[in-house]
Amino acid sequence: MTGDVTIPDPLELERAEEARLRVAAGLQPAERVRSEYAGFESVGLPDRPPQTDREREVYTLAEGEMLVNMGPQHPSTHGVMRLVVKVRGEVVTDIDPVLGYLHRGIEKLCENATYTTVMTYVDPMDYLASMHNEHAPAIAFEKLYGIEAPRRAEYIRALVVELNRVFSHSLMMGFLALDMGGITPILYGFINRDEIVDMLSAISGQRMLFNFFRVGGVNFDANDEFFSRLGTWRSHVAKNVEMSERVITDNEIFRARTIGMGVLSGKDAISLGVSGPNLRASGVPFDVRKAHPYSIYPELEFKAITQPAGDSHARYLQRIAEIKQSIHLIDQIVDKMPHGPVQAQVPGIIRPKPGRAYAAVESPRGLYSVYAISDGGPNPYRFRMRDPSFVSLQAIPKLMPGHLIADTMAVMASFDPVMGGVDK
Amino acid sequence: MANLRRPRPAAGGLGRRRSLTARAGAGALVRLLLDRFGDLATDLWTDEDTVEVRIDGTRNVELLTVLRDDAELDFFYLADAAAVDYGPGVRFEVVYHLYSDKHPAWLRVRANVDRDDPHIPSITSLWEGAMFHEREMYDMMGIIFDGNRDLRRIYMSPDYRSFPQRRDFLLPDDAADSSAAGVNPLERPETWDLTRVSEELAPGVIDRAEGQS
Amino acid sequence: MEEGGPEVAVEKATRRPPRAPAKAATKKPARATAKATARPKSRAASSVLAPGQESAPPVATAAPPIIVPDQASDELLREFGMEEHPQGGFHGLLEVIPTRADIVLDLIRANSLWPLLSGLSCCAIEMMSTATSKNDIDRFGMFPFRASPRQADVLIVAGTLTTKMAGPLVRLWEQMPEPKWCVAMGTCTTSGGRFKRSYSVVQGVDRVMPVDVYVPGCPPRPEGLIHGMMRLQELVKQRRGEWPTFVDRGPQRVAWEGDVR
Repeated sequence: MTGDVTIPDPLELERAEEARLRVAAGLQPAERVRSEYAGFESVGLPDRPPQTDREREVYTLAEGEMLVNMGPQHPSTHGVMRLVVKVRGEVVTDIDPVLGYLHRGIEKLCENATYTTVMTYVDPMDYLASMHNEHAPAIAFEKLYGIEAPRRAEYIRALVVELNRVFSHSLMMGFLALDMGGITPILYGFINRDEIVDMLSAISGQRMLFNFFRVGGVNFDANDEFFSRLGTWRSHVAKNVEMSERVITDNEIFRARTIGMGVLSGKDAISLGVSGPNLRASGVPFDVRKAHPYSIYPELEFKAITQPAGDSHARYLQRIAEIKQSIHLIDQIVDKMPHGPVQAQVPGIIRPKPGRAYAAVESPRGLYSVYAISDGGPNPYRFRMRDPSFVSLQAIPKLMPGHLIADTMAVMASFDPVMGGVDK
Repeated sequence: MANLRRPRPAAGGLGRRRSLTARAGAGALVRLLLDRFGDLATDLWTDEDTVEVRIDGTRNVELLTVLRDDAELDFFYLADAAAVDYGPGVRFEVVYHLYSDKHPAWLRVRANVDRDDPHIPSITSLWEGAMFHEREMYDMMGIIFDGNRDLRRIYMSPDYRSFPQRRDFLLPDDAADSSAAGVNPLERPETWDLTRVSEELAPGVIDRAEGQS
Repeated sequence: MEEGGPEVAVEKATRRPPRAPAKAATKKPARATAKATARPKSRAASSVLAPGQESAPPVATAAPPIIVPDQASDELLREFGMEEHPQGGFHGLLEVIPTRADIVLDLIRANSLWPLLSGLSCCAIEMMSTATSKNDIDRFGMFPFRASPRQADVLIVAGTLTTKMAGPLVRLWEQMPEPKWCVAMGTCTTSGGRFKRSYSVVQGVDRVMPVDVYVPGCPPRPEGLIHGMMRLQELVKQRRGEWPTFVDRGPQRVAWEGDVR
């Protein structure tokens, strides 16, 4: 009615203030917030009392704040992750990532599988870098068993691993642009990926979850079709990469949305455990292939590249530089590849002596490591994988406050997490 | 496509034996650790590229702080924090892997945790990135990290009531033995709609299904 | 939303000569006869010449109105020269020249199935690969992967379904308006796949929602997914899907309590 004025009731205010304090202290579950706009009940807080300090911090709304749920299904293509974003208007004030929507229990399954079957279980973890997922367990199991793979097997391993890195990085470029609304680069990314993946299917039989590495080598030798496709690919890859990056690198919108966004300092990155291209884009020259060389990397000539800036654009440029570095590495590998066997003669079910082994590789997302304990039996006693995306995701609540909600996805895409690895 | 039928060339034996000598420089690390932490560490071991220290869980923050801040040791990067369960009645173990520019070996710190009352100080004050590792160790094993500001489940739902990676949490040996076996109608032939099956396209299916049901 | 156009009175008896019904061949697959018997009889059976009747009744001065059936029954299709396809259904000229509005609607639905962006894990990458340039699913009309379930027709469950994700996925399914179909892509959604013994994987998405097409593979090749989608198109055209169309369920909930937006 016109002329109606509501006078706030001081007792009501007092009670509300007390309730707020009790809620903040965790003594009382928060009440559901009623929204008048939507016409139905919209809940602002979780329906159970917050369990931890940090949860209380995130789910307590100050004046003018709102919780937005970027649920497990959202148009960004990183997989199933849920971000509960606390916004004031359009500006993000806090983020709580909720993981576990793809947790498949791979570590537990591997404790019940033989050492060779473990290779099939670790493939779908970081499904864009399956070769790296298998490389680390292969090295760890070889350390446990006390053997080395033949030289040619090591060269083939390095070759497929670098090919995997190339297509993973070109997909990242595509996803970064896709999360900002550009459709073309992802098409280019998938064209590049399809070409490499056809090559890898010629050598391993599978397009995606390769199951290629074995304890003591690789499963199949490189055949004529593989080398023919590799030659064709090498002849035009530089042009393809240049074409893919030219679409976005100097694009005004892309630059406005990535330069200065999500700046991560080197010190923060080290403290948070970020690794790989994300860490090197913040200026820290930590590359596992250089720091703790494995396989044939001591014989290859390359440098750890870094970018000084530490923002999304630097992470993007870092990946382009790494694609070029990988192409250079592939050239060296193909030149130097020796002849010989590709798999050591190991029994079908290996029983390493009791012991512990730790093996780390450089995956396209960072430091990917495996800690394996053997008790002398056919199954690993403990098989632990450390996934780089899992640890890098901790940077998001640190970086995002202060940015707009639309930049959340852009910055996340520049970190290039893959939920299969995050959730194991 | 790959020629899957080509016989694998023989590798001649079990492959080359790994060279088990520690790399030059790891010895210096071992000596340094022995000097500094003689009383703290209960065991020290080295392999080709890893040096391992065993300590009691309650002193992990002390040890890791010195490892990180000391100029000669300079283990500035926490590569991994994992938990191992040795069985009911034995113990838990929290294993940290550290990296340093100055030493050519990984440093592994194994901290014992009592299994019946699993508490260990949290290292999130040293490395913020340990938060998710500790949440995962709590979720999967049930180890409580004192001082962690956000110790809640990360993989399983918040109302999940078990710790899956413990040794006494068993997976079913055979999917058919699991408590949910046969729930899916496709796993029970008596529920198949045989009017949709054509003898030409899928020979034998109807006979087999009727024989079974 | 009732199917079919307005009822039209047609001079049917004068247009076509009476025909004998098609004899059931001895080698006819059991499926076709089962389907023929399973389909509901059309309302216009009374206006079509019954088997055995030689000729139409003499035409009166006022043409009797003939009711167009809701669904194209088998006899009707055979009358129009459609032949039975060995895998079920009919093919013939009517595929190209639809004369019934419901066939038109089925064709429209089949050729513009809009999938929901519900890529969970590795199969999602192969689904994206199917959607991009080399294996282009746009030629089947499935280019727009809608982000909102309200605008999507088919839910391609691509990737492992875990117990934590099952709730949100079923909620997405319930939010999709009818008619809707579900494609279980990959072995993880078909039966749990390589995670058969896991403690947190739902052993097949058909434990939580009705599935129309199962596409096996780990992950299925893009060609395999396209094959699955083409089979789905056939299902749509023949109305053989799991989800019955045009079932009135009454008022639906717009949102659920406990939603965190």
